[in-house]
Amino acid sequence: MSTAQSEPVKNRRVLIASSHPLFGQGLRSLLQERQTAGVEVVGMVSNLEEALQALDQLDPDLIIVDYDDKKLNRDEFLARFVEGEKKLRVVLLSLQSAQEAIVYDRRTLAAAQIDDWLEEWTFTEDSSRLAAQRGKFETIMDHRRTFMKNRLQKATHLLIAGFLVVIVTALLIFGMDYIRLLPTAASAQAEPIDQLFHLEFKVIAFLFSLIVVFMLYSIIVFRRKRGDTTDAEHIEGSTNLEVAWTVAPLATVLVFAYLGGSALAATVAPAPKPLRVEVIGKQWNWSFVYPDYGVISDKLYLPVDKQAVLLLRSDDVIHSFWVPEFRVKQDALPGGQDFVRELRVTPTQLGEFKVRCAELCGAQHTYMESPVLVVAQTDFDAWLTKEAGLSDDPVERGQKWSTTFGCASCHSIDGTKIVGPSWKDLCEGQATLADGSVIPVDENYLRESILNPNAKIVQGFAAGIMPQQFIDPVSKKPITDQQISDIIAYMNSICR
Amino acid sequence: MKDTQKAGVFSIGLVRGLIAMLIGFLTGAAFVSLIRLILGLSVWTWNPSGNQFGFAESAWVVGAIFGAIAFMLGVGVLSDWLKWMNGQQTAEHPADAFASGWKRYLSVSFDHKAIGVQYGVTSIVVIGLAGIFALIFRTELAQPGMQLLTLERYNTIMSLHGIVMIVGILLGVGAMSNYLVPLMIGANDMAFPRLNAFAYWINVPAAVILLSSYFLGGFDTGWTGYPPLSAKAPLGMDMFFLGVYFAGLSSILGSLNVIATTIRLRAKGMHYFRMPIFVWTALATAVIGLTATQLIGLSFQMVLFERVFGMGFFAPDKGGNPILFQHLFWFYSHPAVYVFVLTGLGVISELLPVFARKPLFGYRWVALSSFGIALVGFLVWAHHMFTSGMSPYLRIPFMYSTLLVAVPTGVKFFSWVATIWEGKLSFETPMLFVLGAISIFLLGGLSGPPNATVATDLHLQDTYWIVGHFHATMFGGFVFPFFAAIYYWFPKITGRMYNEKLGKLHFFLMLPGFYIQSLSQMQAGLLGMRRRIGDYDPALGINLQQLLITIAAFVIFFSVVIAVVNLIYSARRGPIAASNPWRSRSPEFMLPSPIPQHNYEHAFEVVGEPYDYGIAGAYVSIDPDRYIAKEEEQPAAGGAVTSPTGATTD
Repeated sequence: MSTAQSEPVKNRRVLIASSHPLFGQGLRSLLQERQTAGVEVVGMVSNLEEALQALDQLDPDLIIVDYDDKKLNRDEFLARFVEGEKKLRVVLLSLQSAQEAIVYDRRTLAAAQIDDWLEEWTFTEDSSRLAAQRGKFETIMDHRRTFMKNRLQKATHLLIAGFLVVIVTALLIFGMDYIRLLPTAASAQAEPIDQLFHLEFKVIAFLFSLIVVFMLYSIIVFRRKRGDTTDAEHIEGSTNLEVAWTVAPLATVLVFAYLGGSALAATVAPAPKPLRVEVIGKQWNWSFVYPDYGVISDKLYLPVDKQAVLLLRSDDVIHSFWVPEFRVKQDALPGGQDFVRELRVTPTQLGEFKVRCAELCGAQHTYMESPVLVVAQTDFDAWLTKEAGLSDDPVERGQKWSTTFGCASCHSIDGTKIVGPSWKDLCEGQATLADGSVIPVDENYLRESILNPNAKIVQGFAAGIMPQQFIDPVSKKPITDQQISDIIAYMNSICR
Repeated sequence: MKDTQKAGVFSIGLVRGLIAMLIGFLTGAAFVSLIRLILGLSVWTWNPSGNQFGFAESAWVVGAIFGAIAFMLGVGVLSDWLKWMNGQQTAEHPADAFASGWKRYLSVSFDHKAIGVQYGVTSIVVIGLAGIFALIFRTELAQPGMQLLTLERYNTIMSLHGIVMIVGILLGVGAMSNYLVPLMIGANDMAFPRLNAFAYWINVPAAVILLSSYFLGGFDTGWTGYPPLSAKAPLGMDMFFLGVYFAGLSSILGSLNVIATTIRLRAKGMHYFRMPIFVWTALATAVIGLTATQLIGLSFQMVLFERVFGMGFFAPDKGGNPILFQHLFWFYSHPAVYVFVLTGLGVISELLPVFARKPLFGYRWVALSSFGIALVGFLVWAHHMFTSGMSPYLRIPFMYSTLLVAVPTGVKFFSWVATIWEGKLSFETPMLFVLGAISIFLLGGLSGPPNATVATDLHLQDTYWIVGHFHATMFGGFVFPFFAAIYYWFPKITGRMYNEKLGKLHFFLMLPGFYIQSLSQMQAGLLGMRRRIGDYDPALGINLQQLLITIAAFVIFFSVVIAVVNLIYSARRGPIAASNPWRSRSPEFMLPSPIPQHNYEHAFEVVGEPYDYGIAGAYVSIDPDRYIAKEEEQPAAGGAVTSPTGATTD
């Protein structure tokens, strides 16, 4: 019934008639808060004379009259209303009955408009009494027609929205193929995990579309028309629907829980004779011990296509072992044997990756990364042989011991001064001690310096820094004579 | 003005409190120092780089506790209780120190609305601060390498961002419950006004202590504070523990109050299933807050004892177990997530019917789903620990229980969509934020199941995916609904209308900003970006995503600045608001704007359903004889919420 829409934008002028000043004030603030633009209260009158005067002078479009006000002669007022010709509406409002208002609407219609108006008027709910006069049969037909029309409309909305959900889901799933979502999968454990990931991404795409499409559809199609202040249809809910959307998600999550469980089982499934590697985290580096081969390394070497059991522990705070390409992750806990945790990894791709600490472990946590090298079995064996000190070359063995026992962290081989004297200085053949004496560098001196470091201190260096005894971190035994000889051979090789 | 009679800054409670806090701190620290002096221990060492900040660690801890107690004395929250102890009588409902003006909000007030506003303003300030922390470290992360911060500073700022945000969110939740619950159930105040004021004011020393950690060496553990790292962290760690401890105390007492208020002070005829839906969520939130918060307090207290008394609950070398801490911690901290979001979801359910002019679909289901979420929330904590090294078999039952959360959450989503379906929607700022909240919370919810299914979580745990996931739940479950609530109830709070254009600008900057941020975080995480790192490997190929996250963070912050400007300006100069600008049926909209000091002068009776849009009939009614006789100055409001003029406008 909003004929006002076609009219040019013009303030609708409102006149309020009541002898009770609060009636007018309250109504005025009510009209202003309604925020429908273009309502202007042009005047407030308190008796009939004023009202009639205002009718001529102020030219209002709408008059709101206090129904209960005895001072206003309602009958005479209405008589004047019937006489007039200009477009005007009068609303009678009562404070006593809060529900209803009486509306008088006076307007002039062109011949063409009359048909439209009649039709519109016939089908409105308010006019049911008149419809009854037109015969019971027609009324029933009308109701049935509107009912069917409504049902059809409702079904159409659902159908269109449902169709859009399918399209948007398909687009999302299709689009996800073009976005990099996961790094390369480089382990056998990554396979079941990635399968589950991709299934979950698809279901997420569907559910996201389901809700968002229905929301957007409502936002666009069911938005309130301008000036419409009526409420929507009163629908409180539907137990059937609620049960449906309780049971359906329940079934879905149970399926996913089952799938999650089987994928987890696949990632922890043991293979026969796996490679054992102890992984030790400490602030802020990783070390890797191969207990069956007597090897310790700061890089994780793994043979391809062979399962490795990583036995994780920490020397200080909690760390977490994660190679994104392997997918699996496990925290490394402090506390010794009771807190060793295992993680199974079967690398399937040659190449270099990085283990990245995934549990905040202090200042340098960011940089607690170590290389992971996945190599062919033969290369792995060769590396093990070399690292295990099983090489035939004493120099190669010595180089290995120099890292195993931590020599290299204090003694450089290029002349740089770290904590202890550089091994390059040994090439001079003699050393100046703290007391100023000069002694020749020979095997006895070197052997003594390893076994009893404080016996002779080189000038410019402090005593008591080097450990009194060196323990092999893998075998847990003191350094052997052979190992010392190897180290000395390595020292000599630097000078060559 | 009465205010001028009590001139001077010392009449302001906050000022007195802070001065008392300083005195209390010095007293406590001196007390411990004296004991240490007698025992022959060192009393004063100043060496910030070596984690020595004057007083000994134990002196700092006791000083901070004394300081918090002294603050409460100084601000005046304890006065009535102290009088009772001395056998003195006080007024039934104590009067405020200042009747009006900004000083009222900086001093103790026992009016639940004033306390709600105090909570709300503090929340926005604290969240803004945490947002600035985020901007600092996001700038650092905009590109690989360390440019702006050291790694130590990065860790502290990142950790502070987390915990300060959490405190801010708890304050925001407190703001909504405090302001709305009594109004919605027809009460004139909370059940325990003094306890209410206490619960608010304890947050101030908590925030001061928490933020002091930045100047005391910081802490590098994240907000989770896992030992053994936290047992070794600098002095700031103690301040973190104490700050959270006091904020937790506030949560417990506030929850107690909400529960008592809801049970005891409902208006006549307001059965549980006739309460506005927000009250249901506030009640469910309070149940969690009352029963779970103790655990985080306890777990932090145990680490504090490790640090100060050398105990070894979580230290393996003393027979402790580091995983035990995680169980205690997450037993609170997972349900806490629902403390953060449930009230927000309540705001969504509350506002949708008003702006869709249609009843809330499945009211009872939505109401009970909040309790469903709260109950299941207690059974899922160990899903934060799938890679922690707890017994491996425990992972399966916790996976099942975790996925069950999807069921009551799904009920909410479907009911929301059914509410707006075939409604008559209008899109004022609050409604925009509500719709935005639904879509974002949906993203947060749907990114949850991959964390719940253990196998995929092995990849996702401790990555940026998690960061994206929980930022989505926090934005969708708290930030967006909180802003919706602020805009929606702003006219009721201030009596003025906010600026609609600025409100919409805020929304249309924040929504895309958020989506870019969260989706980039999720993608970066999948590709190998870990949480809580100050630098990242460019080889991961996530430089673009990191830059986008940073830009989005600035856009979001900027939009919040617009909102704050809008709110401050509108509160003073905005157009005068009508009593019911949204044509809501909720009882608080029967009251004039701003709401008078003691809410409902006449008790009302609930005679209908809260969301009966579309059919005639009132929700609440006021006995007409008594009403008309006394309330002649408000004739337009009538006896019913649906006013007669509603039918007349074209």
